[in-house]
Amino acid sequence: MYQIAKTPFSEMIVRISDMAWIPMVEANSDYQAYLAWVAEGNTAEEWTGA
Amino acid sequence: MAISSGLGSSALLPAGLGFRNVLINGGFDIWQRGTSAAFTTSASTSFLADRWSGYRGAAGSTQSRVSAGLDGFQYAMRVQRDSGNTSVFRQYIGTSLETSTATKLANKPVVLSFYARAGANYSSASNGLNVLLSSGTGTEANGVHVNFTSATSVVSTVATLTTSYQRFTYFATMPATSSQLLVQFDFAGVGTAGADDYFEITGVQLEQNYQPTPFEQRPYGVELALCQRYFQRLLNGADHGNEMVVTVQATGSTGGYGFKALLMTMRTAPTLTSSQSTDAFLCKSAGGNNLFMNAMTFDLSTPRSFLLVIGVASGLAAGDASIVLANSVTAKIDASAEL
Repeated sequence: MYQIAKTPFSEMIVRISDMAWIPMVEANSDYQAYLAWVAEGNTAEEWTGA
Repeated sequence: MAISSGLGSSALLPAGLGFRNVLINGGFDIWQRGTSAAFTTSASTSFLADRWSGYRGAAGSTQSRVSAGLDGFQYAMRVQRDSGNTSVFRQYIGTSLETSTATKLANKPVVLSFYARAGANYSSASNGLNVLLSSGTGTEANGVHVNFTSATSVVSTVATLTTSYQRFTYFATMPATSSQLLVQFDFAGVGTAGADDYFEITGVQLEQNYQPTPFEQRPYGVELALCQRYFQRLLNGADHGNEMVVTVQATGSTGGYGFKALLMTMRTAPTLTSSQSTDAFLCKSAGGNNLFMNAMTFDLSTPRSFLLVIGVASGLAAGDASIVLANSVTAKIDASAEL
């Protein structure tokens, strides 16, 4: 499960299982996994904080 | 020393010269994440030894660093079905290469070599260890967890292990088009695992060549630097108590930002994680007060740097500089740009 965090200067994806902060960069394999998760019909909600 | 003209023009140097081995950490010297962990089905948690990713579709197996017990090597990777485990799911370990490396090997003769031995209770059929060198034509990816595009099994065979180390060597020619590359080993256990149902492997080398050369032992610092293109443990409280993370500038009484340069340029903008908890990190304010951090997040991840965003309950003053320190053996910050 993922959430989208509005950070001070940009946005990042937060992987909730391990609180990993994932940049929205095509070559990042964790971002690719996020995109695959979205392609399965899932939607990331706004990050609610740690 | 003359360079064999038969190998043709290449940025990869032939026998006798350095950097023959295109695999990183083939001697299993670098273990930034730790030295023992269970296999998982998740790509994001599959790495333990640097550059080596594991996979098993069931619980009950472990990858770990062990003393090699082999002249010329300090460590080996042990892939073990835990004692009493009855699952026959395969256990895979593999290392995937970037397109920048795969393309240089396209249409070239290569030799894959490694040392391996079995534990006393190794249960794989006929003591077999599956060996795979796979090439694909798609975007660089972790081949242990992702199917390659138009995958070609350049080497696909079974090595027969004994309880003593043997060196295995395999010869092949890479496909004319190669942008994905994987070296992988796996076995499936049979029956109920005994105490020593494992194989150990080290000295894994893939080189552009017509014949195998001795495993290339690169200096530790060189191998570590190669690994840090893909993963960096930027702080480890278990190794260095009170290791400083970064200097931050407070933006108010409860938080601030700090710029952190990565140890070297990474493959891509990394995923960032921390072990932030109540007392894992400490913020020493400009006034000298020790403030427990209650938040650590990240921003502006690039291959060269990122921004650390911290939070405390109170006690900072906007504009002041403060220091963020490890305060626990559990404190760690990781940057991962793995395939």
